Amino acid sequence: MAQNIVTEEKVIEEVKKAVAETLSSDPSGIEADNSMIKDLGAESLDFLDINYRLEQTFGIKMARHFILEHIEDMFGEGAAIDENGQLTEKAVLFLKARYGDKFPGFSAGMDMDEVPSLFTIRTMAGGVMDILETLPEKCGKCGSASWKADGGVKVGCGSCGEAAVYTTGDDLIKQWLSKIQEENKSC
Amino acid sequence: MEKAHFKDKVALITGSSRGIGASIARTLAAAGADVALNYRRSGGSSEDHGNKLCEEIRSLGRKALLIQADISEKESVRKLVGSVTEYFGRLDFLVLNAARTPFKPLEKLMERELRQLVDTNYIGNIFCIQESVQELAKSEGRIVFVSSLGSRFYNPSYPLGSMKAAMESVVRDCAEGLRGKNISVNAVCGGIVKTDSFKVLRQLWEEIEYIPEYLFVEPREIAEVVEFLLSPASRAVRGQTIVVDHGFSNRLYQPMVKK
Repeated sequence: MAQNIVTEEKVIEEVKKAVAETLSSDPSGIEADNSMIKDLGAESLDFLDINYRLEQTFGIKMARHFILEHIEDMFGEGAAIDENGQLTEKAVLFLKARYGDKFPGFSAGMDMDEVPSLFTIRTMAGGVMDILETLPEKCGKCGSASWKADGGVKVGCGSCGEAAVYTTGDDLIKQWLSKIQEENKSC
Repeated sequence: MEKAHFKDKVALITGSSRGIGASIARTLAAAGADVALNYRRSGGSSEDHGNKLCEEIRSLGRKALLIQADISEKESVRKLVGSVTEYFGRLDFLVLNAARTPFKPLEKLMERELRQLVDTNYIGNIFCIQESVQELAKSEGRIVFVSSLGSRFYNPSYPLGSMKAAMESVVRDCAEGLRGKNISVNAVCGGIVKTDSFKVLRQLWEEIEYIPEYLFVEPREIAEVVEFLLSPASRAVRGQTIVVDHGFSNRLYQPMVKK
């Protein structure tokens, strides 16, 4: 059964720290609902750096590709973004189902270049939490069920010390899309 | 170190708010050149970095100007070069450093991603050359393109490599085409540099952790070869791409062996 022993508060704190280090800014001036792009000035290369820092901090693999790319991988070009570079109805349905209230502001016809500006510290933290929630019940090496979080962030086995193995961000999105696709088939 | 050849000359470096481009700007300014910096997107961290770099270069006693322009748009490039000549009154060196790419396998690129790849990294660079030729001809100017090892070796999820290869060919072509205007054209092919692109590479290419430290290149080491190619010392070098990688590309297997 999936579980997570790292708190959301801690994740938000670490995301703020990663963003501040990447952008050389003061973490105390960063709010959880700040837009990474509009409020904090992050650019695409900065996102990769932030992701790397979070991976090192939590021992996870962040998604290399955004959900829209995964949707197009699965359903073909044009499924998520139309020929004018705007979000399709299908993309919005998936995004709303995936993120719900955590990630408001999606609408069909929206320019795809505006989507990244909806990312906030909180949504970034949500992505980390989703991965952390794939922590397996028991350690894959010794079978013990005694996880502990070093520094409140990096989870390892309390018995043998083996680092926790999580599902990668990309696999998580793919699994989720497949699930939605199955559910829609059965409807 | 200030050098007579660079004194009061003007260099335009595309994509120069960070990484290798910023290092080239610092190196040329230290050599005595005035520098036009360029970034693509307003309101982001590139603009911030660009403004800081501009101040840094001015503190060296050189002129510096930061210009927003997307090289994939011809009109934007026209304005970029126009701003440089208006502000500085001349253009001596064009350094083509700007690049933009999605990081995914070539075969998975969507049509728009492919077009953007070509628009910026091939067509955009040629726009920059076309729009600068008139000014560069007046100063017997020099053009240097910044390539990478992706032009000749496979890197996972690095479609930019094929554009770099195309541009190395453009460099050869223009070196001959612009011979009559006394404009020299060459390229520097950088190895693995710990700049922003490394942050991407390390996420897509896990073996990168096993590459020994001495095979990494400092941005400054690339910048200094760019400086050489902009100087009279390189007058007999024409249409060439110089690999600057500490010999990384000489070794087929050693860097990949897990220590």
